[in-house]
Amino acid sequence: MKVIKGVLKEELANSLRMKKSYERELARLPKGSLVKKPIKGHEYYYLVSRNHGKVKFIYKGKGSAKEIEKYRQVKHYRAKYRKQLSEVKKQIRFLRSALRGKEPV
Amino acid sequence: MEKSQYDLCVEVLRRLDKSGALKHIVLIGSWCTLFYKSYFGHIKYAPVLKTRDIDLLVPHPSAVRVKANVAELLKDLGFVVGFDAPQGYIRLVHPGLIVEFLTIEKGRPSDKPYPLPQLGVNAQPLRFLEILARDTITAKVEDFSVTLPHPANFALHKLLISQRRPNRQKEEKDRDAAVRILDALISKGEQDTIKKVFLSLPARWQNKIKKASQTLENNEILSVLL
Repeated sequence: MKVIKGVLKEELANSLRMKKSYERELARLPKGSLVKKPIKGHEYYYLVSRNHGKVKFIYKGKGSAKEIEKYRQVKHYRAKYRKQLSEVKKQIRFLRSALRGKEPV
Repeated sequence: MEKSQYDLCVEVLRRLDKSGALKHIVLIGSWCTLFYKSYFGHIKYAPVLKTRDIDLLVPHPSAVRVKANVAELLKDLGFVVGFDAPQGYIRLVHPGLIVEFLTIEKGRPSDKPYPLPQLGVNAQPLRFLEILARDTITAKVEDFSVTLPHPANFALHKLLISQRRPNRQKEEKDRDAAVRILDALISKGEQDTIKKVFLSLPARWQNKIKKASQTLENNEILSVLL
């Protein structure tokens, strides 16, 4: 039983460290998403982000292939890291409750 | 679909193999016991309790000639770089697994990370890991092979380090792992191998292992080691 409790404690410490790592990686990703808008038969790109709750569009012109690919990757990793951060938070809740046992909350 | 922990571990090892880095690595820690199944064959054997850490030992860092950025290799699987404060050891973390690099500590004890620029990471130097780096065995995992410490070396190393654990629970976990592996080796009739590995160790280490084995209350193991 002690061995299992020890493993759970170690895993809780790991998950707490992991949460910080994912939060740091998410903060490091560039803000916003690139969206394509058709205007008078032409396609133009805008960087959409939120600033104090307000949606902000920054004109990016026709957009270079490099920039489009960069924001595609950012979107992919943001979704992935958010999903994993949510998984880590669930693990933390589970491990904390498992370690607490019958102790009062 | 999210990969299961075992599949994820195999994928990590496969990518390291493809990059050429795996041939410089020995898989140690609780995850290696999972791959002992083929070594023990029909012998009743229960893998030890695992945490999410996969410990990868780089026994000869200067001999690593390949150039592989491990963080980049594993990025699309969802691994991110995590730092173990305050020493700054790099770990590649994922909700299902944590990849850590270790190396053999030589000379004066130091908690400074050992840089592995060829792999874009650093390694934690630890004492006694040389036991795991010799007499290694190879296990076939799907389409590649992985180097593992011989089970006898693994078990004796666990007994040796159990004596140095400040944490009682970790000490018990080490002893539990050692007993499972030693029991399986004895069932396989490999008492002589255990004895041979034991006698090849320095006398001080042998004494520490003897001391740890006395707490096991397992006569079969005691008869081999004492």
